[in-house]
Amino acid sequence: MTNKIKAIDITDVLDDVSEFCDIENNRISGEVFFRKDIYEQELEKVFARCWLFVAHESQFKKAGDYIATTMGEDDVIVVRQKDGTHRAFINACPHRGNKICFSESGHTRGFICNYHGWSFDISGNLIGQHESGIYENSNFDASKWGLREVAQIDSYKGLIFATFDADAPSLQEYLGPMTWYMDALFDNQEGGSEFVGGCIRSTMDCNWKIAAENFVGDILHAGWTHDSAARAMLGGAVAKVSDLPESYSVNWNGHGYEFAMDTVGNVATLGESALNKYLHTIKPSVAERLGDFRSNLIGAVSSATIFPNFSYLPGQNTIRVWQPRGPNKIELFTWVLVNKSASDEIKEKWRKGAMMTFSPTGVFEMDDGENWEYCTKTARGRVTSKQDLFVGLGRETALSETDLPANVYEGQLNEANSRAFYQFWGDLLKAKSWDEMPNRNFGRVKAGPSVEIYSAQESTK
Amino acid sequence: MKQIFLCNADELPENTVRKVDNEEFGDIAVYNLGGEFYATADLCSHATASLAAGDIEDDLIICPVHWGAFHIPTGEARGFPCEINIKSYAVQRDGDALYAVIEEQNDSSLIAKG
Repeated sequence: MTNKIKAIDITDVLDDVSEFCDIENNRISGEVFFRKDIYEQELEKVFARCWLFVAHESQFKKAGDYIATTMGEDDVIVVRQKDGTHRAFINACPHRGNKICFSESGHTRGFICNYHGWSFDISGNLIGQHESGIYENSNFDASKWGLREVAQIDSYKGLIFATFDADAPSLQEYLGPMTWYMDALFDNQEGGSEFVGGCIRSTMDCNWKIAAENFVGDILHAGWTHDSAARAMLGGAVAKVSDLPESYSVNWNGHGYEFAMDTVGNVATLGESALNKYLHTIKPSVAERLGDFRSNLIGAVSSATIFPNFSYLPGQNTIRVWQPRGPNKIELFTWVLVNKSASDEIKEKWRKGAMMTFSPTGVFEMDDGENWEYCTKTARGRVTSKQDLFVGLGRETALSETDLPANVYEGQLNEANSRAFYQFWGDLLKAKSWDEMPNRNFGRVKAGPSVEIYSAQESTK
Repeated sequence: MKQIFLCNADELPENTVRKVDNEEFGDIAVYNLGGEFYATADLCSHATASLAAGDIEDDLIICPVHWGAFHIPTGEARGFPCEINIKSYAVQRDGDALYAVIEEQNDSSLIAKG
């Protein structure tokens, strides 16, 4: 028998959350990127409660395949079981707490602790120890000392999420209508999507929120920050985002997605014409599967974050988690996603294209890293950290009459998603339980008829 | 010398192992390695574990608990942390029935390796 984790106590709320997270007045304070006490609160009230991305189903082939990752700063192992399900355990021995799995991924028959030889099977059961006789003589009950298992684990279209909080809403409820938009990347072809290649890990000296917020809804930076990189990759400047004829920002529960309808604006930055052609080729079948509206999103100028720290770019197909490593440091875990049904040649072009642009040496990633590190470092100044930062663009852009699901705003040059991200974050820091979380969603839970199609595949689920 | 009934050969598919309870001599693990039958003690000589719950890899049984290894035909300890050989028994076949041959007071197999 394994053991669910013991719930942690929720400590008192900081008394100045409304000071440093004041969305009503279009402002946050720089200290949200640097204060240690805020960071400690985040580990407890954000990362120990929210659903966090831990692995993709395509990373596992058979029982005993595992991925070691982290949920916040907690080390965890995700292991495929004999019945094809996945379970996640804290990567620490319940005897003295030593780490039990030191490799990032692999296949194993179990996990043995280096310290006293406690041995666990792939389901987390404690099945023996070195000098087992002494345990038998101590009436030791091994059934109580299995690996500590996360409170909930679930998946959506291959993406496996877990939470340490037994009281967290279901993954489906947590993601809400964002899944409708996620399908445009993760499920636009028969067979769905998969990771290609391994996990690239790197670090940046920045706060995790500045990265997550960039992907949740900041396309505004692209034309300016990435100008030189775009000239290198595309032979010209980034398309002027304000010239794109139709675009939106949508959000729900702090998640956000900003997008244009130009099909290939993002993929074009990889400088691989074969990939543009691929997306144009599959577009009619995407329209059949997901409807015309979403077929325009498969590689468009767009970005997304699932709260708190899972982000992706359709088109560039980079998938990433901003792992918090202190208030002023993140570890990036990044992968490249492709359609399973794509040819090997197309998959390889995506892998290379993503490496050229969004890897530690990628031209766009370096542009971003420089900015994010200094957004964080300036907040080290005692006086600077107390100054206001503006998050007020697009205040009056909410669309009340639309068939699009989620909270919908007109235009992707908009800080509506950033506000929603920080608002949800601030609400979590103030809430001692999920029941205390205010519901700030106002949009549709399901898409309306003008943008939705119900394909045979969807209606059978 | 004693004969202990293990199981019928058709109950033991190729490259599998099963445990046979025996209070007098200790539980016995009986193996079918590519059509050849072998028997050893079932209890690991390192820590409490039933070898029959382990995996067969070539002619080795891998203990399920600490992944030590024993040579199935001889009972010899072949992999860390196992250092002490386990008993191995000759298997006699009578029709479909398999028997382990227990040589009493034969502890010669319980010798530390090396």
